[in-house]
Amino acid sequence: MRESLALIIKVAFRNLWLYRLKSTVIAGLLCMGSFIGIVGLSLLHDVEHSMQDSIISSVAGHLQAYSSKAKDDLALFGGAFMGRADVGTIPNLASLRDVVKQNTNVADFIPMGSDMAMLGRGNELDETLTSLRGALKKGETDIIAQRKDELKFLFLQLERELTERAKLSADKELMDRYRADLNHALEPDFLGTLNALDEEKLLFLDTHIAPISGEKQPIYLMYLGTDIQLFKQNFPKFKLVEGEPLGPGQRGILISYKVRETQLKAVVARLFDELKKRIDRVRVPIKGDVENERAAADLPKQYQQILSSLDRHKADVLSEFLKSIGIKPKSAELITGLKEQLQEFLQVDDTNFQERYKQFYAQIAPKMKLYEISPGETIVLRSYTKSGYLKSVPLKVFGVYTFEGLEDSDLAGVMNITDLITFRELYGEMNEESKKELEAMRVASSTVVTDAAGAEDALFGAGASASVPSVDTHPVETKTDSKKKEILHIKPVISDVFPESEIQKGLALNGAIRLKDGSKIKETRAELNKLLKEAGIEAKLVDWQEATGIVGQFANIVRLVLIFALGVIFLVALVIINNSIIVGTLNRTKEIGTMRAIGAQKSFVLGLFLAETAITGLIGSIIGATLATVFLFTLHIKGIPAPNDIVSFLFSGPRLYPTLQWNLVMTTPFVVSLVATIASIYAARHAAHVKPAEAMQEKE
Amino acid sequence: MSQAVTIEHVSKVYPLGSTEVQALRDIHLSFDTGEFTTVAGPSGCGKSTLLNLIGCMDTPSRGEVYIEGQPISKLGDKELTRLRLDKLGFIFQSFNLIPVLTVFQNIEFPLLIQGGFTSKERSDRVRELMEEVGLSAQAKQKSNALSGGQRQRVAIARALVTRPRIVLADEPTANLDSATGERIIDLMKAVNQSHKTTFIFSTHDPLVMKHATRIIRLRDGEVLEG
Repeated sequence: MRESLALIIKVAFRNLWLYRLKSTVIAGLLCMGSFIGIVGLSLLHDVEHSMQDSIISSVAGHLQAYSSKAKDDLALFGGAFMGRADVGTIPNLASLRDVVKQNTNVADFIPMGSDMAMLGRGNELDETLTSLRGALKKGETDIIAQRKDELKFLFLQLERELTERAKLSADKELMDRYRADLNHALEPDFLGTLNALDEEKLLFLDTHIAPISGEKQPIYLMYLGTDIQLFKQNFPKFKLVEGEPLGPGQRGILISYKVRETQLKAVVARLFDELKKRIDRVRVPIKGDVENERAAADLPKQYQQILSSLDRHKADVLSEFLKSIGIKPKSAELITGLKEQLQEFLQVDDTNFQERYKQFYAQIAPKMKLYEISPGETIVLRSYTKSGYLKSVPLKVFGVYTFEGLEDSDLAGVMNITDLITFRELYGEMNEESKKELEAMRVASSTVVTDAAGAEDALFGAGASASVPSVDTHPVETKTDSKKKEILHIKPVISDVFPESEIQKGLALNGAIRLKDGSKIKETRAELNKLLKEAGIEAKLVDWQEATGIVGQFANIVRLVLIFALGVIFLVALVIINNSIIVGTLNRTKEIGTMRAIGAQKSFVLGLFLAETAITGLIGSIIGATLATVFLFTLHIKGIPAPNDIVSFLFSGPRLYPTLQWNLVMTTPFVVSLVATIASIYAARHAAHVKPAEAMQEKE
Repeated sequence: MSQAVTIEHVSKVYPLGSTEVQALRDIHLSFDTGEFTTVAGPSGCGKSTLLNLIGCMDTPSRGEVYIEGQPISKLGDKELTRLRLDKLGFIFQSFNLIPVLTVFQNIEFPLLIQGGFTSKERSDRVRELMEEVGLSAQAKQKSNALSGGQRQRVAIARALVTRPRIVLADEPTANLDSATGERIIDLMKAVNQSHKTTFIFSTHDPLVMKHATRIIRLRDGEVLEG
């Protein structure tokens, strides 16, 4: 037996050598399969881990709990396009937390609620007027002229808008009045003679012209309301990069670094950033790249943004600086000259970009308003509450935060973090103070509170609703005395602080659960489900992967693609192997027949052909595994740079340093050759069926 | 004298499309141990079919073939293979050596399949036979580096290495020039004498035929003479 095995292997080796071209092709394919398999699965393993780390340590935790009555799935990184996902509510988070915390593997429970809000951005005309007023006060003639130019530009823009609006508006009277006011402001005399603090004219502009202009396009901000102290403790990737942290019981918002950099930064700076990133990170030069060329062409148009935030002194300093680097003004007048200088400065190409980038951030950026929002300022967030009315909440911006390693990521980094009380406010849930005030107003206006079930009773008298089931449990106000027609001014009740106990109870949308042992997600989830069921709490649990929707599924999708690709390679290899054995059988009919004639059993022939495949497979896949090891080892040292933001999220940082999966390296060659060998059984049986009498056939 | 092969009323029919070809018709023959017999006749006379049946590579449609008294018509592929391995040796017209193996390895091959020998036993037997066929010097050469005559010597040694009772040779000299062919026949005859091995071979070369102790002539599947 051992001898015949040795014989089989010996003959197999000789045959492989004899048909070496064919053997090389097969070995090459299996080599490629092993290489792709090992590298692919290793990288996938690493990406899965780093992504898991990204997700668990940024917002998701190991498990997420949310209402079992939710109409949509919880998607922490967004998933519901167009419109908000209805994930239900957790009306009383305290009871959920208490149940969840009974499990010994639960480290913490962090209540959350996220939604979208609009950022009120004010009015460009207002800003320019304020700036003009400042210049008038100081008597800086050239700045005044510059501001007046800007105003005139805005007026002309308004005029065009108004023409469009007049076509659609039903209120002709209002449109005519706007038109008249605007015409007045556009008279050459109006701005022409505005050279001192003319309060009458300024007031006219403030009260008649500014209101015509709408607000700037609102920016939509995602916000996440949470218990910020708990959040900081449980999500180690959280890092404050500017400003100060939000203390316990403080209301306010922490702006996401990524959002601030990409949506709230001056366009001129954003263009510089964009170019810098593409040149340095993606290594695409300006020349020849459509995206870069467009950004470079846009830059010189942004001089206005710089000019409009300078006063005379700063303009002077900047002009001198530009002169010092060889950019001379053509006009003698300061502002016109500076405008020309800036236009020239903003002309960038591959030779001067790095220098200009440095100069911009060193000399120009500090003199201008670089961000729309900065720590210390107060912003207004507006949101449609669940019941559909618009709610505005002013919020102090405390700081700017990011998730470490995920600075560039669009996914984890788009959430602006606020306190849970503010979230409830924007969501439409009232706090104790609001409720009290509303109650006081109700008393004052003699309204009574009824719920939906009682509404008809209140309107039509008792008994009217007997057959009508309850449709809504939200309290509805019913005015009983319609004679009192006082207008209710409901001031938002917003204080800067709140009692800390308020976030311990009350409403949340979902909650993150951090585990002590992250490898036991499944077990703990099952235990928690049991506990929740016993306690009668209507909440369901999803793991981090499910909670992050398509993002969490990414690894699975990639795995499928990889397996598919490997499948195709294997299929091709197997077809070639089978084919070559069958062709080989034809060529070797006499040889096989001779072996059979002189006494070799079918099994011997079968074994011989299988051995040939197995040996080819082993040689090919061991070479593939070796190459994969070398390749991964090189990557391990050098790291793979993340070419874009999504990938940096997957890598949990700007570079991925793959680790070598030794078990994969050791097992893959065997699996590959085993699969190839098993797959060649059919063809090998074909060979074994060659008749011994074939040895006698003379075909020469 | 005991009988090496007995053929009783053997017919062999091959299907050919929708019709049949009668390759052998009611053949009745027996071969004594130690015979040096040739089967002669034109192409298509049934020589090959007869050798295939004696060589246990096929079973008869009717009648029975006995190899040293053992009937073969009921045997399966495994048993027939074993019978070939243990009792029969084969020499082919185009030598049929395994091209990737050396002279030594080709001769050793049946012993390895048979199993149960130590490597010294195998080596002794192979060397002894190499000497007998005059190829000791070529032991390590690949078979495709040899001349036709040398190859047929290797084939003879391979056929004898398991010490078979019967050696079948299918036109052993057809691919050789007449002088070499004659020497091969002489070698076979010498082995036949010294080992008492039964030799049955086909040929249509009159020079070869004259060495035979018995000539069986076939035509259209029937025995004309013998």
